[in-house]
Amino acid sequence: MAEPSAAGRSFDDEALPHLDALYRVALRLTMDPSQAEDLVQDTMLKAYRSWRQYRPGTNAKGWLLTILRNTFINDYRRRKLEPIAMDLEAAEPHAITREMAKSDPEGAFFSQIVDEKVLEAIDALPTEFREVLVLSDMEGMSYADIAETLQVPVGTVKSRLFRARRQLQGVLYAHAVEMGYIRPRKG
Amino acid sequence: MAEPIDCREAKARLDDYLKRELTAELAIEVRVHLERCRSCFDQSRFEESFLRMLELRAKQEVCPGPLRERILRALRREADQG
Repeated sequence: MAEPSAAGRSFDDEALPHLDALYRVALRLTMDPSQAEDLVQDTMLKAYRSWRQYRPGTNAKGWLLTILRNTFINDYRRRKLEPIAMDLEAAEPHAITREMAKSDPEGAFFSQIVDEKVLEAIDALPTEFREVLVLSDMEGMSYADIAETLQVPVGTVKSRLFRARRQLQGVLYAHAVEMGYIRPRKG
Repeated sequence: MAEPIDCREAKARLDDYLKRELTAELAIEVRVHLERCRSCFDQSRFEESFLRMLELRAKQEVCPGPLRERILRALRREADQG
């Protein structure tokens, strides 16, 4: 079906294997399954139409995710990016981290938290943090590929990722304490 | 080998270490420190549990079959028109 790229690899071979990743990222960006489906389909059609611009041998997943993200920003998001709250870590993140590490050094409580709660906590992160966390820790992309996809410096990727993880850990820890999966040990 | 790194340095590099984005040399320095320091070792295990949990959660979500079919049909239509 699709025309081969310059290197002779077809759109199907290069793009279709990334449908799962595209769908997952779309879900986390739109937070709505039916919008996520439309976003993935729009992304694939746009990618198909601009397939000639794809440089063979480069990162197809990153290329597709860039299209997905731009499509989301231009066509799906009604509100502007919510500003990054600078006091996200007002609760002194290192104190929380220390308490978590004391209460459960192996972090076993993480695996007890049900999927829905984890996804809910991820979805509650500010967009800029959420997308970096999803690309890095759920899709396994490198700092460099994330920086290219999001068009921000690597240092920005790292600092957003750091804050995203700490914030998510804090929320999941609080949930685990509340549910009795873990007993807090201070000091 | 260079001077062993301290906890501050090890903690500063931990995220990059777990993401395998350190050079081999810097990664070894972190590994050596983790073998000797209980507190940093605990923190590293804690972070690993967190990352493993996210990875596993991610794999559970896949593109639904009907959506995959819908996309393939749309691409085929596009190819026929082009």
